[in-house]
Amino acid sequence: AVPCVSGGLPKPTNITFFSINMRNILQWSPPEGLQEAELTYTVQYFIRYGQKKWLNKSECRNINRTCCDLSVETSDYEHQYYAKVKAIWETNCSKWAETGRFYPFLETQIGPPEVALSTDEKSISIVLTAPEKWKRNPEESSISMQQIYSNLKYNVSVYNAKSNRTWSQCVTNRTLVLSWLEPDTLYCVRVETFVPGPPRLAQPSEKQCVRTQKDQTSALK
Amino acid sequence: QEFQFGPCRVEGVVLQELWEAFWAMKDIVQAKDNITNVRLLRKEVLQNVSNAESCYLIRALLKFYLNTVFKNYQDKAADFRVRKSFSTLANNFVVIVSKLQPSQENEMFSVSDSARRRFLLFQRAFKQLDIEAAQTKAFGEVDILLTWMEKFYQL
Repeated sequence: AVPCVSGGLPKPTNITFFSINMRNILQWSPPEGLQEAELTYTVQYFIRYGQKKWLNKSECRNINRTCCDLSVETSDYEHQYYAKVKAIWETNCSKWAETGRFYPFLETQIGPPEVALSTDEKSISIVLTAPEKWKRNPEESSISMQQIYSNLKYNVSVYNAKSNRTWSQCVTNRTLVLSWLEPDTLYCVRVETFVPGPPRLAQPSEKQCVRTQKDQTSALK
Repeated sequence: QEFQFGPCRVEGVVLQELWEAFWAMKDIVQAKDNITNVRLLRKEVLQNVSNAESCYLIRALLKFYLNTVFKNYQDKAADFRVRKSFSTLANNFVVIVSKLQPSQENEMFSVSDSARRRFLLFQRAFKQLDIEAAQTKAFGEVDILLTWMEKFYQL
């Protein structure tokens, strides 16, 4: 690589890890005032907090995009990491812009669960499946985020379309039955995963709606 | 909600409050730690700690944090405008330490000795650094400490 004049450009900004289910993407914004310029970027990562080496990420050398997947390099989620990126334009380059200390175990977002609904007259059965941890390749065996976070919980929100009212409950079990519902009524369910500990962003599941069955007794009259 | 460090039970501490208090300071404190190639709470200190050891180890660590790390951090906390979070964290550590009563019986000597060797690993790494840098680093590693403590917490 042609050596560049360091500091000739302002640093990239907003450098941070975006992490969900242990998929860890480094992302950043172009340097101030150079949003339109034809820049390239080079990424390095710190093998881990407590060790000595900065390593190149070869797939993220002289790239045009403003993100770099470092999931493999940060896959031991009980360790902490740093990453840094610099901007390059012809023979000029910026100083490194560095992330704060990144701790996947505490900072990854837990994605939404899978939600399966079934209903009868006055109740709805809900079966929840925790999301899977990111894996390097499809052949790898799947690991549920529940296995990583044994204290994982679910925040279930239920909306009654007839009464226009919503209620929520926090559950640990992955199966629950909503009883004493109104027959022939549309109910919509949305579920968020939650892990006690540091504040984390949460992604709710898609809203799913189901109608309770008609009241059989009134149908016979 | 209580901690159960082996035989030592600690009630009345809400771990979520400690997390939120530290999280309010995490970026500020960790950004001050430039010695990124040293980790004080290494895996050898906290990995595979038996229940029996846990009471001795947590007591030694929290006393060290209170007497050596937090004691000199009050002014910095004010400078960083995180005094309230800092007090929440420190006061909760005081409560936990006050309720830890590890057994002093002879049969427990090998367990307490094992815990002491783990603590010494941490303390030796701390002492190899300049005191201020070491305090900042230890403070920045409270997330590692809380992650380990969470394993002994029951809602």
